[in-house]
Amino acid sequence: MSALEVVGTSKIFNQGSPKQVDALVDVNLTVNPGEFVSLIGPSGCGKSTLLRLIANLLEPTSGSVSVNKKTAAQARLDQDYGMAFQQAGLFDWRTVSKNIELPLELKGWDKAKREARAKEMLELVKLPEFADLYPWQLSGGMQQRIAIARALAAHPPLLLMDEPFGALDEMTREYMQGELLRICGETSTTVVFVTHSIPEAVYLSNRVVVMSPRPGRITSVIEVNLGSKRNEDTRAADGFFRSITAVREALRGTHADHAAANAVRGVEDR
Amino acid sequence: MLMRRIAYRSSMFVLAIALVVALWEGYKVVGPQDGGKLFGVSILPRANNTAMPHVWTMLSRYGRPEVRGSDTKIWSVVLSGTLFSLRLSLVGFFLGTTIGVGLAVLMSRFKVVQRGLLPYLVMSQTVPLIALAPLVVSWGGKLEIGSFIWPRWLSASILGTFLAFFPIAVGTLRGLASAPAAAVELMDSYAASWRQTLFKLRFPAAVPFMVPAFKLGASGAVVGVVVAEISTGLKGGIGRLIIEYAREATGDPAKVFTAVFGAAALGITMSGLVALSDVLLMRNRPKETSA
Repeated sequence: MSALEVVGTSKIFNQGSPKQVDALVDVNLTVNPGEFVSLIGPSGCGKSTLLRLIANLLEPTSGSVSVNKKTAAQARLDQDYGMAFQQAGLFDWRTVSKNIELPLELKGWDKAKREARAKEMLELVKLPEFADLYPWQLSGGMQQRIAIARALAAHPPLLLMDEPFGALDEMTREYMQGELLRICGETSTTVVFVTHSIPEAVYLSNRVVVMSPRPGRITSVIEVNLGSKRNEDTRAADGFFRSITAVREALRGTHADHAAANAVRGVEDR
Repeated sequence: MLMRRIAYRSSMFVLAIALVVALWEGYKVVGPQDGGKLFGVSILPRANNTAMPHVWTMLSRYGRPEVRGSDTKIWSVVLSGTLFSLRLSLVGFFLGTTIGVGLAVLMSRFKVVQRGLLPYLVMSQTVPLIALAPLVVSWGGKLEIGSFIWPRWLSASILGTFLAFFPIAVGTLRGLASAPAAAVELMDSYAASWRQTLFKLRFPAAVPFMVPAFKLGASGAVVGVVVAEISTGLKGGIGRLIIEYAREATGDPAKVFTAVFGAAALGITMSGLVALSDVLLMRNRPKETSA
């Protein structure tokens, strides 16, 4: 059984008009439970569009998306996934703790249970003393960690992340990568992770999906064989560098396309 | 922090009043007694004691009887008139808030309603209040729903509502639309219902827009009520006192000002109530967005 299945999916914006954009064409992707898959590629390759199709925030033009054997729409209704964006997007009027509780409130959890979970999540992102502060009193990096805590609060089986660590400083970023792996390992969460960073994609992923623009498509899928136990030593391992090189070479192919098609600017999907 | 903001605001208020008093008395010193004419047109107001009584004359008038030989001091008459109008204004403001917020929610929910309704709302505000006042009174007089009989004062409140609901509807509508797209997407990803998104995201995001709109609505309610009292001759309110006292302006020039100040105090009280809610609602918000 697969955690996520994308079959023959295309997304065309403004179909039939002169402004038609083929954001994604005939994408096939299967993700197994507990697997960590990164989507990487130049701007306009449709990686964020793909993530939004999986999240059912966009409807595909053709093809199908299923999450845990359910349609994407049903999975969204059942809150089968959590989501973290590049912008933390915390609510200014809620305390840190209340922000984390938001998805639980929407699920109808009672107060005591919500507060206990929020506390647990704050421990997880190592910001327990900030529970009663307001988001605007925290640094950008801390805000992003709270946003991740919020995405994970309901312990969803699938986690969709759109460059969530893009705004963090390098030290925090590597720390959060390690934490993310630990959390996903413990909870067997499946992750689809959009990133611009090759080392990040390689360090985190079981597979790195390389995408290319105009039209948006998957050009190659690179297996990363670094085992399931990864730590700081992994970043110095030969296999780590071999995989980075492999992803880089795959991306170089897409970059040539990118340059050739540069005259026609595609839509930015963010 | 909260106390300091309140203290700051009230000291600025006192300073503003002192400034107005200084300007008034200053003009009485330098201004022409019989007014200034420029090319045959009266431009400068008369500085004599009939047109512009001294501040202390006006204030001391509060301590004297309303009419010669009466036991009731004028301050108690003005006070009860002000309180009467305050009640009417509060009713008008409350109705205006209910209608304004309700319309804003409806318009933000259905774009069709917004496109269809908004032009009429804008047009409604171009109807002169004075023309509307007798109409509302006569319509109200004909209304009888079961045992409910339309009281005369309610017409005045309705005219307050008429002026209050518009800024509230427009401000709330803008506020509801101000929720960032990313936050709406987040709520969508949780499959939050429209209602949940409204109460957990859109309304809190709208607060910085709603507070100034409520301030406009509050003063609108006061203007509506006072104008209605004046144009329909409703007894008991500050509007009626203003026209009554204005008739005595030549003999007792300070008298009408006692009522005018009552109306001003009424407006200040209403916007003060809203300002207080502003301080309370915005205390945990980032300072940049606090209006």
